[in-house]
Amino acid sequence: MKETPEKCISCGITLTGVGGVRFPCPSCGTMIARCNKCKHQSNEYTCKSCGFLGP
Amino acid sequence: MVEDEVIAIEGEYETLIPIDEYLAAGVHIGTQQKTRDMMSYIYRVRTDGLYVLDVQSTDRRIRLAGKFLANYDPSKVLVVSARQYGQRPATMLAKSIGAKANVGRFIPNTLTNPNFSGFFEPDVLVATDPSGDSQAVNEAVDAGVPVVALCDTNNMTSNVDLVIPTNNKGRKALTLIYWLMARQVLRERGEEMRFRYTVSDFEMEF
Repeated sequence: MKETPEKCISCGITLTGVGGVRFPCPSCGTMIARCNKCKHQSNEYTCKSCGFLGP
Repeated sequence: MVEDEVIAIEGEYETLIPIDEYLAAGVHIGTQQKTRDMMSYIYRVRTDGLYVLDVQSTDRRIRLAGKFLANYDPSKVLVVSARQYGQRPATMLAKSIGAKANVGRFIPNTLTNPNFSGFFEPDVLVATDPSGDSQAVNEAVDAGVPVVALCDTNNMTSNVDLVIPTNNKGRKALTLIYWLMARQVLRERGEEMRFRYTVSDFEMEF
């Protein structure tokens, strides 16, 4: 919960509008942002700090 | 991850409870359908066509979910269960960690309409079944709330941010998973001494 990233961790798009989400990595706590499309399509994300593979 | 390093060194993963207890509760039993989203959590397919989940991945995800939920203010955690077998476990999870439970029918607009009397703004949503609790999950997406969900082999993981692969249909499986999650959240918060419930306290009765 150190900073609020503005880009989706999966596709790199800048988060705008509704549907995007920000949450701490379940493994290390680094903030992760996901856009609505990646969330809806269940695209995998990898934490840049610890390598956690979600969802 | 630190846990993975321990596994690599010792060659043996230590689960939260003995594997036999997971198997006795049927946590690993999936369905005869599988989805691409859940492929990575499937261990094998039985001769009768049932897909079997990997218990170790379930155990790892329960640890992670405990750590994840411990990051949030307990009063801002919402646990939902439309499924009948999940209602008591969900209520008990909420009671033991200090969260809010919404069981049975999820009234539309609960998370999105500030004029609704039952309006609630959670920081994180825990869903028993992403398809059965789709109303809650969709509203959580609109509200920008992360979703933790128990997913079976036949579930799509759309709009879910943390999957816990498990049997989400069995009474005993749901009981055990929610009991473990409650214990793990309190353990992560350093309040394990406060957790005095047994697995049977979480079990749905008729």
